[in-house]
Amino acid sequence: MAADNPIDPIHQFEISKIADIQLGGIDISFTNSSLFMVFALAATMALFVIGLSKKSIIPNRMQMLSELSYNFIANMLRDQVGDQGRAYFPFIFSLFMFIFFCNFIGLIPYTFTVTSHLIVTFAFAGLIFIAVTIIGFLKNGLGYLRIFYPSGIPIFLAPLIVPIEIISYLSKPISLSVRLCANMLAGHSILKIFAGFTVMLGFLGFAPLVFLVVLYALETLIAALQAYIFTILTCIYLNDALHPDH
Amino acid sequence: MKLLLKVFLSTLPINLVHAAEGQKSAGLPQMDISTFPSQLFWLVITFSLLYLFMWKFVIPKLGATIEERRDKISNDINDADDLNKEATDILKKYDEQMVNASQESNEIITNSKKAMLDHLEMLKKENEEKVNSLISESQAKIKAQEEKSKIEIRNATLDTVKTIVSRYIENIPSDEEINKKLN
Repeated sequence: MAADNPIDPIHQFEISKIADIQLGGIDISFTNSSLFMVFALAATMALFVIGLSKKSIIPNRMQMLSELSYNFIANMLRDQVGDQGRAYFPFIFSLFMFIFFCNFIGLIPYTFTVTSHLIVTFAFAGLIFIAVTIIGFLKNGLGYLRIFYPSGIPIFLAPLIVPIEIISYLSKPISLSVRLCANMLAGHSILKIFAGFTVMLGFLGFAPLVFLVVLYALETLIAALQAYIFTILTCIYLNDALHPDH
Repeated sequence: MKLLLKVFLSTLPINLVHAAEGQKSAGLPQMDISTFPSQLFWLVITFSLLYLFMWKFVIPKLGATIEERRDKISNDINDADDLNKEATDILKKYDEQMVNASQESNEIITNSKKAMLDHLEMLKKENEEKVNSLISESQAKIKAQEEKSKIEIRNATLDTVKTIVSRYIENIPSDEEINKKLN
């Protein structure tokens, strides 16, 4: 029934198999989700391959675009983490470009939004959480535990503060992944609902159509903003791991 | 509460409730655990490829390009500074030369003026001398002429007196006598 309904807002998130692949009893089929991951990869590659094909001192548009994204993430990392963050730049840059293109490709009608699935965002958030924790302990040893007890807090407040800090630390990957996924899920559902209104109301459909256009602009902003937020939060967590004292 | 939600949703044009109750009992496709391995598997593959691509290709190349541009710009600025300095030096030299040249030309002008005036003075003097000598010469000539004509006049007078006197008396007076009478 869901598949029959043309304006089912949830239908766009359904995963359908393109090629059935089983590996040791585990279903790793190539699905529409996988296809759009490949699209995001291809879009990023296309941007940089074209942008870097003609390296010139005075850049053309595509080169400008690729350098702009490079400088944007490099500056973000430098501002948030400092020079120590240089080693993590490839990851942060890849992360931003991947989420950015997943979000943007998902805005095209009849496409699939990879980042609207919690498992994808949670995979990123979980990876970041584990990596940041490992980096924190590697760089600071047991001193990393100081992040659970901020300096300048009276000792008698420790029984209250430390559990709160631990909970907030453990909830980081959840909030990080749910924020991105929920934004994509809600935004795309609302777009679909208003698109449905526009179709159903016939002549009167122009009213939701106007709203749809405004909403689409907002969703475009959110697609970029959420990629930015995800990346900058990653930088902040990384900074906490490298400098736990403040 | 659940019923209320169902009623509310059923009023929507889009039948969310029925959609959720569709072929899968899980509701949201996001909650369908059976798709997780596939999503994770392809995410790992695509993201690893992207990471490798960024790490090995994009970042070194872009970094080099940006670095190159920064170097080029700073080099150009240095070059421009050097050229600017050179130009300032040349301007200074030019100004100095201009000052020297104007001084020299002033000197030349005053010198030539002086020389001209000197020459003029000399010419004046020469001319004056010439004129003076001419004047004295002509004065001497005039005086000589005067003397001469005086003597001639005296002789003529003597002759006239002798002629007149000889008409009336036989005795012709001598020159001395006439001169005595005339004086």
